[in-house]
Amino acid sequence: MKSFEYGDGEIGHTEIFYAVASMVIAIGILNLPRDLAQATNYVDGVFSLIIAGLFAILFTWMIASLAAKYPKQSFYSYTASLISRPIAFVITLGLTIHFLLFVAYETRMIGVIAAHYIFDRTPIEVASFSFLMLIVYAVSGSHVGILRLNLMFLPIIVLIAITICLMNLAYFDTENLSPFFTTDLKGYWKGVQESYFSFSGYEILLFYIVLMNRPKKAPKFAALGMIIPVLLYATFYVITIGVFSYDTTQTMVFPTIELAKEVEVPGGFFERLESVFFIIWIMAIFNTAAMAYDVSLLAARSIFKKVKKKTLIFIFSPIIFLAAMFPQNLNEIRTMATYISYSSLFVVVFIPIVLLVIAKLRGIKGSE
Amino acid sequence: MFFKYFNNQRKQQNNQLNQSEQEDFKVQLFRTIDENIENIKKLYDSPDDLITRKFTIGNTNQECAIIYIAGLTNKTVIDNRIMQSIQIESVESGKNVEVKGDALLNTLHEKVLHSSVSKVVNNLDEVSLAILSGDTALFVNGTDKVLILGTKGWENRSIEEPISEGLIRGPREGFIENIRTNTVLVRRRVRDSNLRFKAYQVGRRSKKQLVVSYIEGIVNPDLVKELNRRLESIDLDDAPESGYIEQWIEDDFLSPFPQLSHTERPDKVASALDQGKIAILLDGTPFVLIAPMTFGNTLQSPEDYYERWIVSSLIRYLRYVAAFIAVFLPSLYIALVSFHPGMIPSKLAFSLAATREGVPFPALIEALLMEATMELLREAGIRLPKPIGQTIGIVGGLVIGEAAVRAGIVSPVMVIIVALTAIASFSMPSYGMALSFRMLRFGFMLIASVLGLYGIILGYIALNIHLVNLKSLGVPYSAPFAPSFYGDWKDLVIRAPITMLTKRPKYTQTGDTERMDNKGGNST
Repeated sequence: MKSFEYGDGEIGHTEIFYAVASMVIAIGILNLPRDLAQATNYVDGVFSLIIAGLFAILFTWMIASLAAKYPKQSFYSYTASLISRPIAFVITLGLTIHFLLFVAYETRMIGVIAAHYIFDRTPIEVASFSFLMLIVYAVSGSHVGILRLNLMFLPIIVLIAITICLMNLAYFDTENLSPFFTTDLKGYWKGVQESYFSFSGYEILLFYIVLMNRPKKAPKFAALGMIIPVLLYATFYVITIGVFSYDTTQTMVFPTIELAKEVEVPGGFFERLESVFFIIWIMAIFNTAAMAYDVSLLAARSIFKKVKKKTLIFIFSPIIFLAAMFPQNLNEIRTMATYISYSSLFVVVFIPIVLLVIAKLRGIKGSE
Repeated sequence: MFFKYFNNQRKQQNNQLNQSEQEDFKVQLFRTIDENIENIKKLYDSPDDLITRKFTIGNTNQECAIIYIAGLTNKTVIDNRIMQSIQIESVESGKNVEVKGDALLNTLHEKVLHSSVSKVVNNLDEVSLAILSGDTALFVNGTDKVLILGTKGWENRSIEEPISEGLIRGPREGFIENIRTNTVLVRRRVRDSNLRFKAYQVGRRSKKQLVVSYIEGIVNPDLVKELNRRLESIDLDDAPESGYIEQWIEDDFLSPFPQLSHTERPDKVASALDQGKIAILLDGTPFVLIAPMTFGNTLQSPEDYYERWIVSSLIRYLRYVAAFIAVFLPSLYIALVSFHPGMIPSKLAFSLAATREGVPFPALIEALLMEATMELLREAGIRLPKPIGQTIGIVGGLVIGEAAVRAGIVSPVMVIIVALTAIASFSMPSYGMALSFRMLRFGFMLIASVLGLYGIILGYIALNIHLVNLKSLGVPYSAPFAPSFYGDWKDLVIRAPITMLTKRPKYTQTGDTERMDNKGGNST
């Protein structure tokens, strides 16, 4: 008789599947249609999006197979065995900071959007602060607990997303989509970049696969998990362009939320569905932020072994809040997002490739 | 081990008593009955209900004595079975009662007395416990051994329909305060040789019997081991109700949720045993604990399985909606009225505003006032005798509500919301969970008044964070949602037809997973 598989802090492939999908679905989609529409013409953005999505799926698979090569070993310990301890230390520390910035960005954006759609008088700081406190509560629990929250929230999130899409079909105008293929290559490339950034976040796999009981399955399920946001984003993009046309989309701050605004609930049960949509979407953003914070704690604890988790939370949380409140306006926040995206690019493309190559060259095999 | 521990404890206490108050009392058994009787009388300080009766066997001069407590024992058994057997039948049937001491005791035990429950002990603690539990102690001159005869018998409440868990369709039997009757009620439903009853003793002073029941082969042995560890750690003076046990062994005492479910229904216990769960029965209470429990369990009622599946599934949805209303409705009202009036359809918003015209308070105060009144009424309803309880319901519900609206203290919509919430929370099958919901409702009302809908969703997420970290006997409380056991969903999201519920729930990690043959039933 097996002991309780779920009692000992291990996760299965389902959790990894959900974790990747939940991590990626967050703020990105809310303004992605605008950025894409600015880069490409008409509905051409969707091709960029799918190309970027394929890249993302590929990288997810790569990262997962890298981490799965060393089952039950933390990122720090296997990088240390591949490329010496000091370099591994620097990289892990860098990752910690990367994820902390991620949390800060999400925290700030929650405040911004809340001020935009739900509150008019409550200051951004209050909304962001309470959100951060919630994340702190989440990360004080177990790692497995956070991964299980994905299982609870993702179905609700996907459901509301699909509902919004379906209800908008009434306003969908196919004429807004064509003509096709009018964008130049440069535009496509920019589109790929923009959409790729919205797919970032799956670098959490580097740290979460340690918790898996059968890591061999990880690459497959992680890649499958990535398909969900790719499909969802593509659908959202096509619908947004179809409903608003691409020049209107360019001018909107959060086109996806505006999409919810268009919807009229049959029977007039309640109005302003966009608030409801955003409220539900907070769960998605929460999942992302909580996982990012959790991973940064995992990373930090792998290099500072003696420091307690609570101490780290006490140190990190004020830093996150200050970092979140640092940008003065939307433009500065976007700059922050860009930096995070570049560091994410570095993390998910550069590090795994280098590590995989070194692992091949030096012939260091993980314990299978 | 457990008993030894208690015995040691008791000895220590007795020793202390020995030094302070009763100086001649000795923790030992003597060879003469007079000494023994004196000693036991001193032990209890000669209460009125302690009956000591000295007699000689038949026409011999063998001296014996019985000691028991009046009221705890069945007097007919003592008179007809014990006294008569020893004094008359033993001599008439020619049993050898001439021997002395130990030999006589053995003869009485093995040949004379025809009581099936009897044993020989040589320890004062056991004798004392037996007497206090309603058994009779038989002392024989010349030996320090004592014969304990099972004569327990006292007035019991008869088996009635459980009040706290009424059903339209289903067995009408409920547990009572006597643990023997309760174990019988379980055994009558589970005639399985693998059904186990494991006895414990709890309470330093009360020494109540506690029985852990499970089906060997279905239950996960680790669960039993873990429960055993927790039960052995119990160190209470007395456990008047199984709530004491529940609170002692629960996983997280800070949680608003009950982590063990309790029931008065034997059929519910039987089905829980079939699912690989463990039942904990305590003497003196009709409430049996069931562990582990999950959040989903609290919204299930035994009747779900007795009615046809379509109806049951729909009623289950109704209950989910009721749970949502019970927790969130007042806070949603507060959030919508004070933060997001734009989200209310405009016609409704106008009429809402019109009804709130004269109300001098903000929505939170208004809601708190009404909710507090409601809680007061509910509490008063429990305390009052039944006939007056109904009057209070009418006076409270109708008169106060109506008058409060007339007086312009609250708006009529608020009264509707409070009434709906109350009805919804009464429809919860689990009383413990309904209590938690009541509590959470106030929390959500407060946060809604500060942060509106945003606050509610943050609170909801926080609640979920708590749920995924909560465990019941080591089993995740949020199972089978997270961790996901999709197979279990057919008894959670819907109540699938009985013929399809072939597997035991996975979250209890049972030994035997098949509940029935897949071919069962006519429909498949």
